[in-house]
Amino acid sequence: MTRWRWDHPRQLVLGLLLWSLWFVAVYGGHALACRAGAPAPWIVTGLLDCTAIVVTVLAWAAWRCLAAARSLPAGVARFLARSAAALHAVAALSTVFVGLPILLVPACA
Amino acid sequence: MLLLSGCSGPLSTLDPAGPSAAAIAQVLWWMLGVAVVVSVGVIALWLWAMRPDAQRRGHERRWLVGGGLLLPGVAIAALLFFGASAGRHQWPWPGETPALVIDVNARQWHWRVRYPEHDLVLQDELRLPVGRAVHVRTSSDDVIHSFWVPRLGGKLDAIPGRTLMLSLQADRPGRYLGQCAEFCGIGHARMPLVVIAMAPDDFDAWLAAARRAP
Amino acid sequence: MSSPGQLADGSGGPPDAAALHAEFERVWGNPRGWRALTIVNHSVVALRFMVTGLVFFVLAGLLSMLMRVQLARPGQQVIDAETYNQAFTAHGTMMMFLFAVPVLQGAAAYLLPKMLGARDLVFPRLSAFGYWCYLFGGLIFCAGLALGLAPNAGWFMYTPLSSDVHSPGPNSDFWLIGITFVEIATMAAGIEIAVSILRTRADGMALHRMPIFAWAMLVTSMMIVFGFPPLILASILLELERAAGWAFFDPTRGGDPLLWQHLFWLFGHPEVYIIFLPAAGMVSTLVSVHAQRPLVGYSWVVVSLISTGFLSFGLWVHHMFTVGIPALAQGFFAAASMAVAIPTAVQVFAWIATLATGRPRWNPPMLWLAGFLATFVLGGLTGVMLAFVPFDWQVHDTHFVVAHLHYVLIGGMLFPLFAALYHWLPLASGRMASPRLARLGFWLSFVGFQGTFLVMHWTGLLGMPRRVWTYDSGMGWDWPNLVSSVFGFVMAFGVAATLLDLALHWRFGRKAEPNPWHADTLEWAVGQPPTSYNFASLPPIDSRHPLWEQPQLQSAIAAGDFELPRAAHGRRETLGSDPVSGRPREVIHLPGNSVLPLLAALLLSAMCIALLARFYWPALAAACATTVVLLRWSWENCAHPKAAAGEAFDLPKGLALHSRTFDGPGLWGMGLTMAANAALYASFVFGWCFLWLVAPAWTPPAKAPLDVWTLPAATGAFIAGWALLRQLSGRLQHGVDQGLGLRLLAAAACGAAGCAVLGKALAGATLAPTRSAHDAMLAFLLVYLLLHGALAVLLALLQAARVRHGHVGLQAPYEPGVVAILWLFVVGVTAVAWVAFGLLPTALAGQG
Repeated sequence: MTRWRWDHPRQLVLGLLLWSLWFVAVYGGHALACRAGAPAPWIVTGLLDCTAIVVTVLAWAAWRCLAAARSLPAGVARFLARSAAALHAVAALSTVFVGLPILLVPACA
Repeated sequence: MLLLSGCSGPLSTLDPAGPSAAAIAQVLWWMLGVAVVVSVGVIALWLWAMRPDAQRRGHERRWLVGGGLLLPGVAIAALLFFGASAGRHQWPWPGETPALVIDVNARQWHWRVRYPEHDLVLQDELRLPVGRAVHVRTSSDDVIHSFWVPRLGGKLDAIPGRTLMLSLQADRPGRYLGQCAEFCGIGHARMPLVVIAMAPDDFDAWLAAARRAP
Repeated sequence: MSSPGQLADGSGGPPDAAALHAEFERVWGNPRGWRALTIVNHSVVALRFMVTGLVFFVLAGLLSMLMRVQLARPGQQVIDAETYNQAFTAHGTMMMFLFAVPVLQGAAAYLLPKMLGARDLVFPRLSAFGYWCYLFGGLIFCAGLALGLAPNAGWFMYTPLSSDVHSPGPNSDFWLIGITFVEIATMAAGIEIAVSILRTRADGMALHRMPIFAWAMLVTSMMIVFGFPPLILASILLELERAAGWAFFDPTRGGDPLLWQHLFWLFGHPEVYIIFLPAAGMVSTLVSVHAQRPLVGYSWVVVSLISTGFLSFGLWVHHMFTVGIPALAQGFFAAASMAVAIPTAVQVFAWIATLATGRPRWNPPMLWLAGFLATFVLGGLTGVMLAFVPFDWQVHDTHFVVAHLHYVLIGGMLFPLFAALYHWLPLASGRMASPRLARLGFWLSFVGFQGTFLVMHWTGLLGMPRRVWTYDSGMGWDWPNLVSSVFGFVMAFGVAATLLDLALHWRFGRKAEPNPWHADTLEWAVGQPPTSYNFASLPPIDSRHPLWEQPQLQSAIAAGDFELPRAAHGRRETLGSDPVSGRPREVIHLPGNSVLPLLAALLLSAMCIALLARFYWPALAAACATTVVLLRWSWENCAHPKAAAGEAFDLPKGLALHSRTFDGPGLWGMGLTMAANAALYASFVFGWCFLWLVAPAWTPPAKAPLDVWTLPAATGAFIAGWALLRQLSGRLQHGVDQGLGLRLLAAAACGAAGCAVLGKALAGATLAPTRSAHDAMLAFLLVYLLLHGALAVLLALLQAARVRHGHVGLQAPYEPGVVAILWLFVVGVTAVAWVAFGLLPTALAGQG
């Protein structure tokens, strides 16, 4: 594993990868928790907390990539950092949007 | 008027006779309207962009943000928020007391409709009282079928090994049609279900008579 | 360093362009006659893919015409129900698996090396093998159709309808076996294209200078790597259920029909984006060229492509909104399905902005792209409507969905494909099409399409279900169906006119001037039609638009002004590049023509036919024969005399042949193959958890069939073998090659021990896979682990043999690292098996 860099090409996929893991966690977690009979308000709180944490991490990663991009000269590294910032932002916004149903639809029904 | 008469049909989703179908049809008309406006707009934009005029530069970023982000972003957020409640009629919410529970068991290629509380079995026919929600429990003996009465509400699959439930309500007396809506083999095209909604008194009378009949 | 064109020993002056061409033709030229069956060159193989795909397209189109005739009037019996069911199943299957993906992969295989500045794809024999598997698999499928035994359970083959109980007879087996065979080609092409894009680019073609089509194909190929394996797994499980009675999807034996649906749509939704993204890449390319300006928002489009790739994996349950999944779960998938519209909208507006700020012209490609936009946007909008769950409850499984899917697939793939064919026709054939016939073909197709499918939304809203072979009058469906059928014929004429135009002008069209559309990317510098070797010398580039910056590049390339400008050494070579910066890292030497791909594909076909006929011993024999051919194929590799004999003295300074380094395409290919395998295994583990938690009649046995030591012991054995391989790779890196063969044999022995443990468990455990899904899953797991362990042992032994023959050693240290990746995978799956199949059930059972 190479050192952590905000302009590394793997930044292009890490954000949406985290979104994918979040998705599996809320979809699977909701199913498991409902099956185990947990009370609905706890489930909703748990899902919201998980969502909030992931959104925060992704927004922070987007900001770090953008900051790294500003200090780079034009070239492939800057392209990677800026694109990664956008992709982390996409992941963050997708988490928010896909998480909205938690507020709109009752759990376990 | 012409349009409305064109919307009617025994299996039409655009001629609702129950709250679930009505709520869905209403959102549909809104979505259809927005879709027409957006598609006409985007096509017009493309054709305008194809004009072989002198070079036009600038404002590229505005296209991307306005058309690519804001337009669809606002549209889907609106759809999610305003549409979220349209499905509530179909869902058998816990705590809701139905007028009746009806078991609909599907098999190739017929519907066996049971009224468990009244020990009554019908074939390819379902009767319900007007104005009250009934809970329909679907099941299947062989392959996956789908229970669907378009004028009353959306469909629910009948899956072997499972019992699924939806809430069904008719607001007007009448004869409605249902149809199996999941490909289930050679007889799939001919697997209709006749749904008769009756005024509550008529329904009780019919129920009593049907139970007494051998 | 000697000057370009001059041999390293200084002899002879640089040859002129004509002599250089002759030199390259001797090495790269394509044979004729019977020996044409051995061609591995990407241009030929890619064109074969495309022509074959278009033939399947026409066949599938004829099936749809049959269906439209039957549905034109109510109560007709032009064909009976069984024929109709076979027709719609075959139509969908052929269009999705035998036309859409292969044709686009063929186009990518043809264009990418030229766009990237390479001479060929990285695994030429694999390309050829992929083509033969595709052809033979497609023929096997069509044989079913010809025999009246085509699959008839719908192109998504829902269980229990497609199980042996409800679909006895070989029909569904033609699907499961034939299409899985074809998927080998899809996977192979996907992996090869991804590696080629990452590792064989022109000097200076960093990621931000890559043609946008390459980005689209990179994302698509990665989607194929992760998206197809769930279907491959599901097909294997269903075929096992049908042929051997193993319970996976039968709810009475602990299985679940919904498991099939999840696995299928986990593939099925990414599949439609696998079809759309290459087309989107083509649109981006064409719009930029025909507006004569760079694409607006290149980075935005790259971000959109990657976003679409990921988001599309989170949508699959929107095909299952009516199966009774909890409301909130449906909500997640509804929101994700709506969100995926945004990256697409970004691309649409990037295209509009490019046209609006450029100098567009209405030539045939642009005509088709206008048709694409009008159609695809409508399809996308109905898609967003369908994402709205309650509406989907009404129109799911009706003709509304049929209309939607044809809008996005025909609008989003076929129209861009025709645009692309018109655009690149001059490149591939050196001739131009006729604008008049092109316009006729377009308008007939476009008007015919709209007439057929626009009214179909209405038909669906009026309640007409899918997959009904006939219908009664009085539903309001009579006139819409008639309209659809009539216009269907109009569209058919339009498509025929278009294909005719392209075919005729391939041979008889007016000669095209060089780069007739004034395009910017490198594929227009390889000659029209292209030479077999693309570039006589490989140019460096420093912008996204090489031909706009340097219009005379083609003649400089042909004169041998740039890298790797000689072929007198007899090797097929291209530059291996750094995946990010595009700087050359090594010289990749490629295999020439070979009959082994054809042979292997023929033997696999024999195996498939035997499986179809349920002759299992002949199938096993064919499988063994295939393995032998594949082993021979892998033997003729790297440092083998047939691949690249001896040392090369005429390489650019600082670069070595890739097989003499520690990195090369095979490493990346093995890595991606194992990633695909991991996706398959992950789907399997998902299936296990799913059945355990949700299957209606799941009954785990009172006593676990596997003893607690089997899986940890096997894991340990495989770890030992892997560690040995890593160690010997490290020693080679430090210039030590003693004990190479011994270590390989020791690793093989460790692997054999692991296999023995698994084999003993399989033989000893009292598993009844035909009676319970639980046992079937465990049995499948053990066989899977055993097969992979055996493969790892076999490859280690092969390496030991190659060391003995001198094909692997200090001078050729590359291969052990490739084999080590497989070993790591085997360690990983065995360890995960220990947790998921060993420890987890005990924990779950403990919960009661």
